[in-house]
Amino acid sequence: MSEFDAIVVGAGPAGASAAIRLASSKKNVLLVEKSDPPGSKNVSGGVLWGNGLSAIIPDWEKSAPVERFVDTKSVAFLTQDSKIGIDFSSKKLEQKKTGYTVLRARLDQWLARKAKEAGAMVINGVTVEKLHVEDGRVTGIEQDGDVITSDAVILCEGANPRVAINSGLRKPLSDHDVAIGVKEVIKLPENTINERFHLKSGAGFACEYVLGYLKGGLEAGGFLYTNKDSISVGIVVSMSHLRKNNATYSYNMIEEFTAHPYIAPLLQGGEMQEYSAHLVQEGGLRSIPKLFGNGYMIAGDSAGFSFSNGLVLQGMNYAIDSGIAAADTFAAAYDRKNYTENSFKSYQDRLEASYVMRDMRTFKGIGDVTWSPFVHKKVPAMLETLMMGLFMEEGRPKKHMTRMLLDALSQNDMLRVSSLMDTYRMMRRM
Amino acid sequence: MTLEIIVMVKQVPDKQEVVIDPVTMNLNRSLTRNVTNSADENALEAALRIKDKTGANVTVISMGPPQAETTMIECLARGADRAILASDRFFGGADTYPTGLTIAATISKTGKFDIIFAGEESSDSSTGHVGPGVAEFLDIDQITYASSVEYEDGHVIAERELEGGTEVVKVPLPVLVTVLLNSNTPRMQTLRRKIDATRKGIEMWDHDRIGLQPEWVGVRGSPTIVRKMNPIRERERAAKKIEVSSIGDLVDELYEKKILKLEDE
Ligand SMILES: Cc1cc2nc3c(=O)[nH]c(=O)nc-3n(C[C@@H](O)[C@H](O)[C@H](O)COP(=O)(O)OP(=O)(O)OC[C@H]3O[C@@H](n4cnc5c(N)ncnc54)[C@H](O)[C@@H]3O)c2cc1C
Ligand SMILES: Cc1cc2nc3c(=O)[nH]c(=O)nc-3n(C[C@H](O)[C@H](O)[C@H](O)COP(=O)(O)OP(=O)(O)OC[C@H]3O[C@@H](n4cnc5c(N)ncnc54)[C@H](O)[C@@H]3O)c2cc1C
Repeated sequence: MSEFDAIVVGAGPAGASAAIRLASSKKNVLLVEKSDPPGSKNVSGGVLWGNGLSAIIPDWEKSAPVERFVDTKSVAFLTQDSKIGIDFSSKKLEQKKTGYTVLRARLDQWLARKAKEAGAMVINGVTVEKLHVEDGRVTGIEQDGDVITSDAVILCEGANPRVAINSGLRKPLSDHDVAIGVKEVIKLPENTINERFHLKSGAGFACEYVLGYLKGGLEAGGFLYTNKDSISVGIVVSMSHLRKNNATYSYNMIEEFTAHPYIAPLLQGGEMQEYSAHLVQEGGLRSIPKLFGNGYMIAGDSAGFSFSNGLVLQGMNYAIDSGIAAADTFAAAYDRKNYTENSFKSYQDRLEASYVMRDMRTFKGIGDVTWSPFVHKKVPAMLETLMMGLFMEEGRPKKHMTRMLLDALSQNDMLRVSSLMDTYRMMRRM
Repeated sequence: MTLEIIVMVKQVPDKQEVVIDPVTMNLNRSLTRNVTNSADENALEAALRIKDKTGANVTVISMGPPQAETTMIECLARGADRAILASDRFFGGADTYPTGLTIAATISKTGKFDIIFAGEESSDSSTGHVGPGVAEFLDIDQITYASSVEYEDGHVIAERELEGGTEVVKVPLPVLVTVLLNSNTPRMQTLRRKIDATRKGIEMWDHDRIGLQPEWVGVRGSPTIVRKMNPIRERERAAKKIEVSSIGDLVDELYEKKILKLEDE
């Protein structure tokens, strides 16, 4: 007899969702989290997209500690002097809320409390060291020489899955699998934020930036999200790129971002409340390991379910849905009293049927596009040239728009076959 | 007979995160994370070391709001056998006098006690009153500021840290010992013990269970009245760059600015 039906490692969105789902169907579940309280070391931008939580907490939109619903979503290219962006604000986003800004320290504590209320045993402040394996089957976890047994273990360790790697369930992370995110939370009065971003109370602004001006030609994405009375601002830079530019530090890059002439005024007068850095899973489809085996399943970032398609950085939503899928797979296996690899096959099927794996497939090559000099250097420069051309009044007759676009393209060395291929590839992968 | 050891523990706001509300001047406890008072972890460790050798029973006792449960579970997870939280709205707002009284009464209610451990002081109020207060209420001997504690044959032998030296004392049971901060390395909580502690749970005792009248405890039982609290205002530092060409010039300059003085001035 095992001590628990299931053990979930890690109380991020993936693990907490799995535990809530399992406990709600009366499974005897242990959720182990290394930080105390849960979430105190976790980092997201973050906008929680989608309605995944409704499957486990129907009234979550009312009770969860969300900051603001996103009513303006923007994407912008930044050059040294300019910002060229697209804003999408819509009454439709107010009626049907598609995303909320969140602060993880609050969200994760709330989720852990929900897991406890549902009946899970939640233990934080302890790091799981490894999986316990008997006859080729995972039958529990090990910590400080003790074995805690269970019929199955669901690994939800996040972006740096030490247990999965040490147990050989996932390959060690390569530079291509991860990016580094650095983030600051800047405190500002609620009213100031509302005025600065033209927001009604409760409504929020979320923007992703392509940073085309960083020192040393580094490629990084920036983000800025409004919370109730603070702003989350940060950068994401790919590990391989950072490695190539050894002399650059990620904390200098965030300073370059927040000092930009069109970013600094948004943060002006704010007080830094939090500073954090975290790995981001960016490997996409090719970094996804085998998701299940005898006695175990892997969900969330640990399984590589996170990426940016250039417009939004996502991961919490995939974490929640994959956590729930793992819990449902366990419940079905529980009814059969069979926890073998074969019995967990339906985990893969559940994910393939949901948007989790479909998104991973749709955007499988996106990394090559979002992390390319084409997007980070040429596009911003070309857009700036084009805009300057359009709005400059020099007392001369203006050129035709098409002519101007062609000029802008050629000035920025984009009228080559390779660049046209890049454009084509970008459109296809997005 | 099994030795009965009591450890007094207090839950305190994490020092690094303490925020004083500039308007109300209250400690804003809602924003801060709560932790076990550090010296109390040393007190518990001292008790557990005696338990390791003698098989003693270790009971942790705290007075505080229900959320202090996390601290109590932590103590169980480190190896305590029983946890009692004296919790009651009547206990709120206590100064050190009713705090000592409430804890002493709770200890009496547990029955036999041989050694009582407390921390030297709390990190949030730091009066160091409560341990000695409990010893007085129970009318037993006390050893304060102990850096090491051994049990031997009906006695506690403790080393006390004094200015300019140490003192070794041997005191017969029952005795209360207050333990110095950082005097030992508390053992880790393990997952196994945390699971067992969570299953076992803690006991909550109210004033009735302890046998205390509401007017003896909490705010009503407190002789001190806090009129006003003043946060320490940071003083502007007069840092200035002085350009001088020699040490002599610098001394002259400092003298003129009245930063240096002559001895007989
Ligand atoms: C804003 C503010 C104002 C205050 N003003 C006063 C005042 O004017 N007069 C006054 O007397 N007090 C005052 N107090 C302090 C009082 O409320 C103390 O917090 C409480 O009585 C315990 O004293 P202590 O924290 O100094 O503990 P200490 O005596 O420093 O603690 C020593 C040891 O006693 C034990 N211990 C202490 N408290 C507990 C507990 N609750 N449960 C179990 N064990 C415990 C622990 O082992 C601890 O290590 C004030 C506190 C605050 C926050
Ligand atoms: C800068 C940045 C910005 C981001 N922005 C967004 C965004 O806007 N929207 C979005 O959807 N996603 C965003 N993401 C991605 C998102 O944060 C992750 O995809 C998401 O957190 C994954 O959830 P998870 O539960 O799988 O892992 P995590 O949230 O990382 O949780 C894993 C948990 O496991 C615990 N743990 C790890 N190992 C152990 C162990 N051995 N024992 C016990 N506990 C352990 C950890 O402490 C942690 O609590 C962002 C990420 C970063 C870094």
